[in-house]
Amino acid sequence: MQRLNRDAIIAIILLAFCGVFFLSSFDIRQPDYGVLMPSTWPRVVIGVLAFLSVLYLIQSTSAGAEAIEDDKYDAEHTRGPGFRGWLGHWRNPLWCFFLFFLYLLSLPILGMLIGGITFVYVLMGVLGGWDGNKPILHAVFAFATIGGMWSLFTFGLGVLLPPGMILGQF
Amino acid sequence: MIIENTIAAFVELGNFKTILLMLVGVAGGLIAGAIPGFTIAMAIVLTLPFTFGMPPSMGLATMVSVLVGGLSGGLMAGILTGIPGTPSSVATTFDGFPMARNGEPGLALGIGVWSSFCGGIISAILLMTLAPHLARVGLEFNPWDYFMLVMFALTITASLSGKNMIKGLIAGAVGLLVRTVGEDEAVGMARFNFGNDALLQGFDFIAVLIGLFAFSQLLNDVRDPKIAKKALTERGVVKVRIEHRRAIVEVLKRWTIVVRSSLIGVFTGILPGAGGSIANILAYDQAKKASKHPEKFGTGIADGIIAPESSNNAVEGGALIILMALGIPGDVTAAVMLGALLIHDIIPSPSFITDEPVLAYSIFIAFFIATFMMIGMQSFMLRVFVLVTRVRMYVLASVILGFCGIGVFALHNVTFDLWTLLWFGILGFVMRHFGFPLAPMILGVVLGNIAELNLARALAITSDLSPFVTRPWSLFFLIIAVFSALFPLYVGQREKKKTWTVFFMPVACFAASIPLFMMGGSARTVLAAIVLCFGFYQLWRRWQNGWRFEAEK
Repeated sequence: MQRLNRDAIIAIILLAFCGVFFLSSFDIRQPDYGVLMPSTWPRVVIGVLAFLSVLYLIQSTSAGAEAIEDDKYDAEHTRGPGFRGWLGHWRNPLWCFFLFFLYLLSLPILGMLIGGITFVYVLMGVLGGWDGNKPILHAVFAFATIGGMWSLFTFGLGVLLPPGMILGQF
Repeated sequence: MIIENTIAAFVELGNFKTILLMLVGVAGGLIAGAIPGFTIAMAIVLTLPFTFGMPPSMGLATMVSVLVGGLSGGLMAGILTGIPGTPSSVATTFDGFPMARNGEPGLALGIGVWSSFCGGIISAILLMTLAPHLARVGLEFNPWDYFMLVMFALTITASLSGKNMIKGLIAGAVGLLVRTVGEDEAVGMARFNFGNDALLQGFDFIAVLIGLFAFSQLLNDVRDPKIAKKALTERGVVKVRIEHRRAIVEVLKRWTIVVRSSLIGVFTGILPGAGGSIANILAYDQAKKASKHPEKFGTGIADGIIAPESSNNAVEGGALIILMALGIPGDVTAAVMLGALLIHDIIPSPSFITDEPVLAYSIFIAFFIATFMMIGMQSFMLRVFVLVTRVRMYVLASVILGFCGIGVFALHNVTFDLWTLLWFGILGFVMRHFGFPLAPMILGVVLGNIAELNLARALAITSDLSPFVTRPWSLFFLIIAVFSALFPLYVGQREKKKTWTVFFMPVACFAASIPLFMMGGSARTVLAAIVLCFGFYQLWRRWQNGWRFEAEK
């Protein structure tokens, strides 16, 4: 039943999403010219999406729980209880999201070179561990790969990547 | 004209820098295709930022090289480790891995490489001959027809991309909605920007593609902490030499399988939504059915390697035919290629081949040259592949995530694109987890503005909606869109022996013949008559079987 609810919840979220976008479509300015108003096509798409979401809701509530398949990872791994169990289950993707988020926040300060190397280094440590000679190997990898790519774009392709406050002073 | 354009294309590509970039592209594609968990589309997506500063022909030749390399790379992992490098080389492992285990890995690799080569060459020839003709047909299309073509591409992609058709359609609709964010292209009014100025430009479509496809795929690859810490393959890779001479003999002896499988590949590629993952299984199945010894399939025979490898290399030729002739991407890889064309300010359409003949032929010729390069580089890249397999998945994923960031920023020098990458990476990961296919969403994002612009053009000509059903091409696409949307239901109900399914295919044939008759002209009338006769033939067969399918008798 828990699995069944999962799909039904997604369908309800989709319907809410359609509602928000539909309401927002009234904020679109309508010009006096043109045949297809700027809000018409989005409303058609929202209408189709809402209709499909209703069908999905009906399908998810009428199908048995066994009809909904777990993905391979979920099927092979049992999740621990509570929020800590959820965090443990999603540990690696959450780290990736969080570190990338921090990387983007720190971009104006660290820039793409220092920020990129730091992001890759920390991510490798978090995902692969800090034991043995890994910290040194990870540092070499991060420096060589991101440094190499940064050099290729900066000097080879002439792309101005964000220098950040630190490198920006030089 | 063809000879002139071909020579001009050779001149365009025949410089040291382009050839070097193509070699690097083939090498990169071979490695990316060989790594289990990495897809060809991902490799091409990651190459996009590098090509931005290049002249169009050079950039596109590099992208085509990555594509050709990636198509052939999957066989290395599949044959040597039993783990297919890409979904399009799944069937290669059925006989390739057993042959390698039987002590002939060099021959298995050789057969795979030369079958890929033959499939690539056959599809390149068809690409060069069919694309200009199809483009001429495309010139007949009006906005109503284009709009319906996009709807057909979306419905068939949704119906072929997963078990649950509704999820596929929802993904496609979300893609269309994502594309509406920002100023609309017809009159320039802000839509769904929620007061955020950065959203006025809309989401950059390349950042969305990289987020949805590459970012979410990498997160999926490192999701399991134990697998993330393992080397790409734990199975030892033996040192092998590709046995080219024996392989060529084996492939030439089975030329009928090569030709049949290549044609299956090309026509699967032409069909929107159906890619190499379908073609290789289909070709393997057909080779097995046509064989005098079907029981030997799966034990390590040459036929079982030739069929999937010829077909999966031929697929992209088919997808490029549709992309270059009509501007409609057939699959995710072609969608990324469309992105590559767009960042070089080239909008594929039926007039593209006539307007930009040198560039169009450069793409054709690059496909040819890259196929030859693939043969030359396969032996060398095999050694690199052995080295790459020692790298741990988490190292590779972390580095590529870092590359994604640099690459996305480099496209337009806009930090907002990096946030787009993150949000769509999360969205792609969540969608994968809940079983929503990403291919329809990507096509929705790519085709969204084409659909809207053509709808606007159609309504600007007349507010009457009847041309959508009275114009032959529009009606044709509408009919096949409806039947392709119903196809998963038909397949499911056919297993339950529902009576109506007996009439599904004949009715589809009758319906499709109507617009073909309406088009007029002798060739199309004959085609319509053939389709109609096929429908009657199917009906007659089922009547003979007591209104049942033949297999049930």
